Amino acid sequence: MERRVLITVARDEVAPRFDLATEALLLTVADSGEIVSRKSFLMAHASGDELCDLALSRDIGTVVCGGIEDEYFHYLRWKRIEVIDSVMGPLEPVVSRLAAGALRAGDILFERSVTGV
Amino acid sequence: MTKRFEELIGSDCPDLPALLDSLPMGMVLLDGQGHVIMLNKALEELTGFHRDDVRGLPCRHVLRSRACVQGCPHERPDGPGSSIETDCINRHRRKIPVRITPVRMTDDQNRPVCILDVVEDLTALKEMAARLSQVTGQGQIVGRSPAMEKILRLVPVLAQHSSPVLITGETGTGKDLLAESIHKASPRSREPFVRFSCGPMPSELLDAELFGRAQGETGELKPGRFQQAQGGTLYLSEIADLPLTQQASLARFLDDGIILPAGSAKPIRVNVRLMASTAGSPEKLVQEGRLREDFFHRITAIRLHLPRLKDRGEDLGFLLHHFLAHYAARFKKNITGISPKALRLISCHDFPGNVRELKNIVEFAAMICTEDTIRIEHLPGHLPGIADKPVPSTPSQTRKGLRKST
Repeated sequence: MERRVLITVARDEVAPRFDLATEALLLTVADSGEIVSRKSFLMAHASGDELCDLALSRDIGTVVCGGIEDEYFHYLRWKRIEVIDSVMGPLEPVVSRLAAGALRAGDILFERSVTGV
Repeated sequence: MTKRFEELIGSDCPDLPALLDSLPMGMVLLDGQGHVIMLNKALEELTGFHRDDVRGLPCRHVLRSRACVQGCPHERPDGPGSSIETDCINRHRRKIPVRITPVRMTDDQNRPVCILDVVEDLTALKEMAARLSQVTGQGQIVGRSPAMEKILRLVPVLAQHSSPVLITGETGTGKDLLAESIHKASPRSREPFVRFSCGPMPSELLDAELFGRAQGETGELKPGRFQQAQGGTLYLSEIADLPLTQQASLARFLDDGIILPAGSAKPIRVNVRLMASTAGSPEKLVQEGRLREDFFHRITAIRLHLPRLKDRGEDLGFLLHHFLAHYAARFKKNITGISPKALRLISCHDFPGNVRELKNIVEFAAMICTEDTIRIEHLPGHLPGIADKPVPSTPSQTRKGLRKST
């Protein structure tokens, strides 16, 4: 059975905040982990309400995001949408881990670095 | 870099983390790329992240502040040292109002060492500001013009008494709000404020609506508006629409504090403050025979007149920004102002619908605005001078505008 996933995006990484994301990546993931379809979505403006509407209208089963406010989190959960939040990382590694079925809330996929000023 | 940082400060301050941990406000040390070097204890509590878990990560993913996402504080033209008020979402999914002050730290030869962000939790201050505005804001009515200031100064004084009040003013000037403000500031504020619109309805039904109705053989009373407002305030809007019979009953109530429910021969005493409003001139209504003279003289113990918006001078700009802030928050948009052209166009308008019309215009503009500034194309088409202005309608045009703003 395929599952539909929405990832909030900012530049080439998971958006730090759900309510401020203006882009979303819609994926259809097969049981085998194969990405069956991949579609980018550009929002007219940042809005947590509209992202929730988008998730519901597209029959999304899983939302992947960074920080998310309590009210959105519980609303999506109430609508039986799984929320994998507090995910930090570049988009592609996140998609790969998601496809492998190994993505968990709070996962950090950035390479850590501290450089000079 | 961290080593150099610790070397520079280490001689005078051997235990930097302990020093930062002892401070009551949140602190985050960042490298030149905005990666986290360390958080102090206060910021660990605020964000919900442990310093070891987030070391080396981009700060926008740790602080998750609106400012980080919509325009990094370190890249602002006014530079480090200036504070910004914003909000962040912590690991426990709580949205927290914060003030962030970025500080660029340098050594004694003015070489950059690191960036320090001071993050203050504003929750308590915001709560207090909301509480104070509720207490001193006279309900929801606001104004800065001399005419409105005079009325707002009177509100707390008039609120202490139970004399009837008549509020006059054109439609949309805020008569209902003023009545509610007087009630809220009065000792009756914990009791009900009942609003009744005197629209056209059969006289018998109106009697029952206002004064209650005695039902069946037992005479059980179905409460009317007076009974509902017991101990509080009954506010009748547009009294000129009230039939003369009911006006006589109200005049009797104002004389001796009793009402007669429909279908009952037994008058009852009620403790209600009566307020009323009309958009017309009461004297003219008396002349036309639509308002009983005896009722008019009783209800005008206190009379307040709300001026038209175009007679309220500086209130236009003040209310414009007041409503803008209100609707920006309601629609969760980051609208910070209005363009000079749009402001000029609004200022030239006559506002026959007064404050209500202005409120509607701002609500519309805030609803469709996708940038941080309200421009002419966001204003409703019926405003004079709008029709010939271009409106971004195609998705590509809209997207371009949005791209710029994000």
